[in-house]
Amino acid sequence: CRVSSDGKPPKFQPPPKPVIIDRKTQKEERRFLSPEFIPPRGRTDPLKYYIERKDMIQRRKVFNIPEFYVGHVLAVTTADPYASDKSNRFVGICIQRGGKGLGATFVLRNVIEDQGVEICYELYSPRIRAIEVLKLEKRLDENLMYLRDALPEYSTFDVNMKRVPRKDDEEIPVNKVQVRMKPKPWSKRWERPKYNIKGIKFELPEHKMKAAQKWSQPWLEFDMLREYDTSKIEEKIRKELSEELEK
Amino acid sequence: MMPIWTKSGEKHAVTLLKVQDCHVLRYLSKEEAGGKTAKLLVGGKNVSPFSKPESAHEIFKEAGVPPKQKVTTFNVTDDAIIKPGTPLYAAHFRPGQFVDVTAKTIGKGFQGVMKRWGFKGQPASHGQTKTHRRPGAISTNQASKIYRGKRMPGKMGNIYRTSFGLKVWRINTKHDIIYVNGSVPGHTNCLVKVRDSKLPTYKDCNKNPPFPTFFADGDEELPEDLFDEEIFQFTDPSVTFA
Repeated sequence: CRVSSDGKPPKFQPPPKPVIIDRKTQKEERRFLSPEFIPPRGRTDPLKYYIERKDMIQRRKVFNIPEFYVGHVLAVTTADPYASDKSNRFVGICIQRGGKGLGATFVLRNVIEDQGVEICYELYSPRIRAIEVLKLEKRLDENLMYLRDALPEYSTFDVNMKRVPRKDDEEIPVNKVQVRMKPKPWSKRWERPKYNIKGIKFELPEHKMKAAQKWSQPWLEFDMLREYDTSKIEEKIRKELSEELEK
Repeated sequence: MMPIWTKSGEKHAVTLLKVQDCHVLRYLSKEEAGGKTAKLLVGGKNVSPFSKPESAHEIFKEAGVPPKQKVTTFNVTDDAIIKPGTPLYAAHFRPGQFVDVTAKTIGKGFQGVMKRWGFKGQPASHGQTKTHRRPGAISTNQASKIYRGKRMPGKMGNIYRTSFGLKVWRINTKHDIIYVNGSVPGHTNCLVKVRDSKLPTYKDCNKNPPFPTFFADGDEELPEDLFDEEIFQFTDPSVTFA
């Protein structure tokens, strides 16, 4: 009980007003971390990944690598010693992002004059002059290799396509298109559950779809040895990245 | 291993080697060592003294250095002798130098003749009875014996092998890391011996390396990263062809 200096009772202090944090409307800040920064699980010294990350950040300071996912349409200009203008521009949909660290790659696919063309670019190669994102849209899967067996209309993109203006700077729209396939045989048996593809409209008979489920491995999602929780690693890397890029 | 790009846009694969607590342990003169040149014993990574027998602790106590996991010998000429106890750093090498790397290869255990020596084996079908990966004939009739050195199944790997003539692309003086071209024998995080190349093509290649070694308490202050001339450094803008 506080003793006042005057002898009078202390002035009434009202209790602090409760601060209401509305968690429903407060959206999580969308922080994108490029997948090649996350180190794979292994016995390598973390010092190696730290040094590689320093190099990657150095490159990002000089050359802007935009945020993009599988399913975006990109235009990449590379320096080509054998072309007449010494530069080469390719437009395509990103079907796969692979590799970790400096060797990270992404594959762009397009159909030019009825010939499907896929080019695998390295994100950190010094020959790349510019990467522009023309159309932002995510797809239902993270690996669109099945576009090789889909009808060519799903992989054709205009080479002189203009940048689709983005209205919101918030969410990336998900294109829920179900792709129609060419008749079988395909390069891979995409109906099997191991590929877990949601973006194909399978026009196969019921008994074939059921037979494909024979190869399902439902125990895989409960396998604890396969779990790789990257949340803490990601937080550290995000902090490191934001500190370095602000310098 | 990491990719590295040159200024002309070509990609090379590079192995990172870390120089971890290397100290010179002992000097053996030509007569003591019994060879043609003097020898220097150098020790590698620090390790707890309980993992080494008491008899092995002598060398480390003499040099005043914690016990090391691996001790190797280097043949040195008389003008390159270093006092025992000096630490060795990655800056001992310079980019543009050529280097031989020795290490124990990955042990594969007891392996058959197809994996160990690359024999072709036998067909999978067409009547083969229980013979698909066997060596087949091992000698001739007239020899009446099997020659010494006949390639047969046995323990594969876990032996010392050297990759010769590897170029040093880059050196990180802060973390003591050497970037060496190509692959190196051994598994990840294994102990490796790096030596100046003895190939005749690279005899005169060393352009003013620190001799006899790089002393950290000396006068020269090296930048954190030393690059070879042809490397594309990430601080430069993208490569363009004129």
